[in-house]
Amino acid sequence: MTESTSSIAQKPWADPNAEPFMQIKNVTKKFGSFTAVENVSLDIYKGEIFCLLGGSGCGKSTLLRMLSGFETPTSGQIIIDGQDQAGVAAYDRETNMMFQSYALFPHMSVEKNIAYGLKRAGLPKAEIATRVTDILSLVQMDSFAKRKPHQLSGGQRQRVALARALVKKPKLLMLDEPLGALDKKLREETQSELIKIQESLGVTFVVVTHDQEEAMTLSSRIGVMTEGEIVQVGTPHEIYEYPQNRFVADFVGSVNVFEGRIKEDGEDHVIVESRDTGSDIYVPHGISGVEGQKVAIAVRPEKIEIGKTELENVRNSISGTVDEISYMGNVTVYKVVLDSGKRVRVSRSNRIRSTEDALAWGDVVHLGWAGTAGVVVTS
Amino acid sequence: MGHTSKFLKITAMFGFIFLYAPIVSLIIFSFNESKLVTVWGGFSTKWYGALFQDPQILQAAWVSLKIAFLSATIAVVIGTIGSFVLIRFKRFRTKSLLSMMITAPLVMPEVIIGLSLLLLFVAMQNLIGWPGGRGMLTIILAHSTFGAAYAAVVIQSRLVDMDLSIEEAAQDLGARPVRVFFDVTLPVIAPALVSGWLLAFTLSLDDLVIASFVSGPGASTLPMVIFSKVRLGVSPDVNALATIIIGLVSLGIIVAALQINRSKKQGADR
Repeated sequence: MTESTSSIAQKPWADPNAEPFMQIKNVTKKFGSFTAVENVSLDIYKGEIFCLLGGSGCGKSTLLRMLSGFETPTSGQIIIDGQDQAGVAAYDRETNMMFQSYALFPHMSVEKNIAYGLKRAGLPKAEIATRVTDILSLVQMDSFAKRKPHQLSGGQRQRVALARALVKKPKLLMLDEPLGALDKKLREETQSELIKIQESLGVTFVVVTHDQEEAMTLSSRIGVMTEGEIVQVGTPHEIYEYPQNRFVADFVGSVNVFEGRIKEDGEDHVIVESRDTGSDIYVPHGISGVEGQKVAIAVRPEKIEIGKTELENVRNSISGTVDEISYMGNVTVYKVVLDSGKRVRVSRSNRIRSTEDALAWGDVVHLGWAGTAGVVVTS
Repeated sequence: MGHTSKFLKITAMFGFIFLYAPIVSLIIFSFNESKLVTVWGGFSTKWYGALFQDPQILQAAWVSLKIAFLSATIAVVIGTIGSFVLIRFKRFRTKSLLSMMITAPLVMPEVIIGLSLLLLFVAMQNLIGWPGGRGMLTIILAHSTFGAAYAAVVIQSRLVDMDLSIEEAAQDLGARPVRVFFDVTLPVIAPALVSGWLLAFTLSLDDLVIASFVSGPGASTLPMVIFSKVRLGVSPDVNALATIIIGLVSLGIIVAALQINRSKKQGADR
């Protein structure tokens, strides 16, 4: 393990004294009257794989293009390794980008594609040759050096594009939907390889993706974006387990949201009265709200238990009727209709093959979840 | 594939006969022994021999080739710059207006183009003394302008297909914009440049009307010489000449088509 990974393991973002490697300060980008990126501030630390996650048109690509110098911020500041990037053209920045379409030069061989950036930097021929050979073996493309891009498969092109962007040893590597064009099997392999390569080189990665699974597996931290704003920044665990608002809860993974009002706001717990569940919901942490305030409780499908008999050891318990069953192999997803008409998604992992307690359509079932399973989302 | 119906086959056959019978008969009669154009007198290649003895025709052919070569080259340069600017132009309305204007010479009657160019050249000569008189230079200028319109159309279609991110990738790797153009853009659109050049070259070789307007003494192109010869009565050596031109033009078109095909394939692979 290199130094950078260990420093990332120490979570520099949690240390108030840590110096961020890249700072985005109040950056806004407007195209005419349309605001693509609105007042984004972000600190990214050395050695991170930081994912910008969001749907199409959320401004994540525009933000990336501002980092690489293809767009100029309308206002705000971008500082990379202590240097203000204002007025620095794309060709002068010490950052590189891996494009979504890979953007390989169609008339150049793999070798020449990779050497292009080094040639522009005016490196001696011998050094270019060794660096190209080294990076080719790193991405396991040694035997394809003389091929043209159109003679390669999608996965191979992706490797060449990665090699071309990495060979200049950029301070920051930006990846625009790096795995978008690959099929599922190849994606999974490539994901773990990408992490390995990143760890061995210690380059800071900024990844743009709309795929939450990709973001979860790749990144040290995720910034969730919508409508030009960053709505939450956190580790994959934080984003998934403690979504700060309904958008994040819904965008990352699936979630059941129960609407309600605060009935009792204690020091160490909250009780929410919900018409959706027809009962009170207990949450074992205090929130800074007032009684009667409208809130919503988000509960992930896999955190809800389901059974034909009354469940034990659950803090919150409701009942309903099975309406839909989807068997997915590793898990089975049940859609249960409550008395209020609210539909609840419950997933249960198929640990045993037995069909003894199998549930069928129309069964009356009990649902329950531990007090800690739910999260209060306010907005 | 199913069977093509008999009716379709016959119609297609008539269509092609209609198109090609005149050309085929011309080629056949170019090998005619007889001095009479419409009477077959046996096979001979003597008119081809006679052609290469005729200084007037050789001279005109040389003039035509020079004009075609130079005007095609100028046309491709202008066409490339024009289409490049058009494609990269951000404002949509101006863009579509300009793009319409660049293709207008394609549909403009040649007589009008020729006449307007002649007027322009005369006016320029009176005002600034250049171009001094009409001749090869004015024909080259005239052919460059309408050749550029054709070249621009061909090059534009290639530029539209081009993935802009490869230019950004080059910039990202440290190439300045001019460098990007020569290292990446130009090689990628090269097949379109070749086919644009061939198109402009062929059009220039073919042109009679515009050349007649803007040419002066001593600068007769091949089509002009043929036309004046024919007015005095069709002689068999003109048939031979026409056959050679048909051969050259078809060769040019075939090469251009192959180039376009190749560039399309490359685009699809990318």
